[in-house]
Amino acid sequence: MPPKAAKGEYIETDTGNKISRRSQIHGTQHIILGGKTVIQAEAVIRGDLYRLPSTAASTDPNNPAPQSNAPSVAITVGRYSYISKSAILRPPSRLHRGVHSFYPLKIGDHVFVGESAVVEAASLGNHVHVGAGATVGSMAIIKDFAVVLDGAVVPPGMVVPSWCVVGGRPARIVGEVGEGYGVEGAEGGMARERYRVVGRP
Amino acid sequence: MSRPFPYTYISCPCADTPVPNPARKRRSRESPQKSTPERDTEGNEDQNGTKQSDVKEKEEEEKEEEGEGEGEEQTFDPRSPRSNFSLYPPEQLLYCEDCHQIKCPRCITEEVVSWYCPNCLFETPSSMVRSDGNRCGRNCFNCPVCTAPLAVSSIENVTGNGSGQGPWVLSCGYCLWTTLDIGIKFDKPTNIRSQLQKMTDSTTGPAFDARSRQGSRAFGDLKSPLANFASIDEQSNTREPDAEQSTSQEDATPTPHLGVEARFAALKSFYRTQLSETSNSPSDPLSSEFGFSSPGALNRLMSLYASSSRLSGLYGGAKKPKSKPPVMREALTASEGLRIVPESADTALIERIASPDCGWDGVASISQRTEQSPDVRFVDELLPLPVLLRTKRAKRCKSCKHILVKPETKPQSTRFRIRLIALSYIPLPTLRPLAQPPASLIPGSAPNLDLNALAPLRPYHVLLTLKNHMFDIVRITLATPSVTPGSVASKVTVLCPQFEIGANSDVWDEALQNATAPLSDRITGMRGGEKVPEAGKVWEKGRNWTTVVLEVVPGTLPGSEAEGGQATGSDIAAVSQKDEDVLEIPVFVHMEWDAEAQLEQQNVGKASKPDDLVARELAYWMVLGVGRIQASL
Repeated sequence: MPPKAAKGEYIETDTGNKISRRSQIHGTQHIILGGKTVIQAEAVIRGDLYRLPSTAASTDPNNPAPQSNAPSVAITVGRYSYISKSAILRPPSRLHRGVHSFYPLKIGDHVFVGESAVVEAASLGNHVHVGAGATVGSMAIIKDFAVVLDGAVVPPGMVVPSWCVVGGRPARIVGEVGEGYGVEGAEGGMARERYRVVGRP
Repeated sequence: MSRPFPYTYISCPCADTPVPNPARKRRSRESPQKSTPERDTEGNEDQNGTKQSDVKEKEEEEKEEEGEGEGEEQTFDPRSPRSNFSLYPPEQLLYCEDCHQIKCPRCITEEVVSWYCPNCLFETPSSMVRSDGNRCGRNCFNCPVCTAPLAVSSIENVTGNGSGQGPWVLSCGYCLWTTLDIGIKFDKPTNIRSQLQKMTDSTTGPAFDARSRQGSRAFGDLKSPLANFASIDEQSNTREPDAEQSTSQEDATPTPHLGVEARFAALKSFYRTQLSETSNSPSDPLSSEFGFSSPGALNRLMSLYASSSRLSGLYGGAKKPKSKPPVMREALTASEGLRIVPESADTALIERIASPDCGWDGVASISQRTEQSPDVRFVDELLPLPVLLRTKRAKRCKSCKHILVKPETKPQSTRFRIRLIALSYIPLPTLRPLAQPPASLIPGSAPNLDLNALAPLRPYHVLLTLKNHMFDIVRITLATPSVTPGSVASKVTVLCPQFEIGANSDVWDEALQNATAPLSDRITGMRGGEKVPEAGKVWEKGRNWTTVVLEVVPGTLPGSEAEGGQATGSDIAAVSQKDEDVLEIPVFVHMEWDAEAQLEQQNVGKASKPDDLVARELAYWMVLGVGRIQASL
């Protein structure tokens, strides 16, 4: 670990996001952070992979490209979400009618993305836990309170229902979390505590 | 699912119907000298026990003075095999308000609230589950090769003019398997299940005789009449379906005369008629079911027992002469579900397996075959698997039948109508190591203790925070055995075994008082190191939580260097294999609080005031997983 910079490792934004100076965030204008989100060092967030309004307009002549005025959002992250070290968030993509286009990646509140995990999901619900080294494939949908175990590979397009635990390669539903999952302070409800300790001297 | 350190588990008291183990009881309650030989028999620790016994005795006495015993007979041993069944993470436990007891998954019963497909998240009505089986009837399929979900995609993926460009296939995004591999295409992207069923049921090809159609009529009803056939693979079209025995063709796959499901239905109806024809007593409950192979055999069996029984003389004496039961026959024709395996089938199979174009990759694995019909041997016979449904379940207390958990029926909803989780009643324990030791005086960022390598014989301080979720103040008494059970004897002291946790009052109360006080307090405590753990004092306290310090001195592993012995690799390996080096502390929690009297009690005792308080208590064991002890110093 290099010696700590005098400024501190984390930049804290007005909404309370703590973003490591050593994270790599591309296309910041296409990323929305809900506040109190932590982005650790070496995390990669690919906001530059947004859906191009021009291609959407050209393929669809009926629509006169309404998105062109507003910048399209590539990644939305909710409150108290935590992106660990070396994790990669990239918007999902799909080949649709011969056109390869990106779709937005939505991450809910209190989400934990483990170390060096790769997330390409269409959506992660609230209180989702993605374990270290896990891969969430393109256009996968992880519903609220679901757990992706360490090292799991969620195949593209998979839907993980709420309260389910998935693991393995390819990921299968291997169990369910208890009813108390996500209670503040218990397993699945540690997001505030996690946020609080980040960047504290 | 093992958890990273530090973890806390709570033991459900339902496992407290113990096998009497006097040795263990003696160890926890009485003099440690007696416990030492017992541990010797368990582990291979030899001199250490006697060496430390004096120290232990002293501590044990201290413990007793601290008021450890609340009348509990036995120390909980997290290592005993029984504990596996009673230890649960706190969030898995429920609480029954009528029994006033923690309820674990073993002391509840479940009932299904709704069925839903985990892939499309549509609810399936229970009537459909009963008739069609618990698989998704829509477009949800799992890959037969790797179990990943399959996506419906068009083969014509090149240009984007118009939407309904078929033909369609199911393709796996994980292993890149498609239904083209088994020669199946679909004409439309909807209703794939019935399209697929039609194709697989008609594997006999054009000469589909009337009798077999009769057999599969029940399945024909399920199909949409609009769903027309897509291209079946040419092999099965060219195949000549021999009416009686389906001999294998050049590719050596024995073609089932009927589809597997149709054959099952035929056999089922055949045996049902056989049973109704042959059973002489209609009231016989077994005859209506598929209880035994034939009711005739059963009758004979029963009469055999009746005659040999000595009691037959008492009851009625001589057995009544019975008419000879009619004999049930087996299926004889293909329409009844008979399939004659051709003689050459096995050799043909072997030939195909041995042929170079099949090879290892062409043979279906056992795990793949378990999901398929029993005839499937090769990868190109694997069919897409409709997704198995999942359930939402309500949970009831086994003893008083009260509902503890009732989720909303909608699959998408994560809300509960009733949710009595233990965390709303018992304090939530969290454990974290105290940035330590103050003697080493490491300034600033406390070095993260490696909990996977705790040095033996070095004192550690762990902070145990208990957070109250009830609206009443709770008085807690903690107790631990001074020495952890197991072959690695670690010494544990709760510095403040009796304390109070505030009520979980309105959050605004705290906010209006001083919100930042506990936070800053903690920071100074962590940083300066001026805060020293003191016996009998609470470490810190918040609105509804209290933190106390546990002092832990990890014991030495048997055969490790610290003990003076030779650290042989095999010894250490054996220790870590059994997880003996995991430092787990059993802690007995006794909580007392004054709850508001329940309605019924109020009604009974009308004389008492309505806001009468009832003293409640609850006691349970929990296990704190602190870390793993290092082999050497």
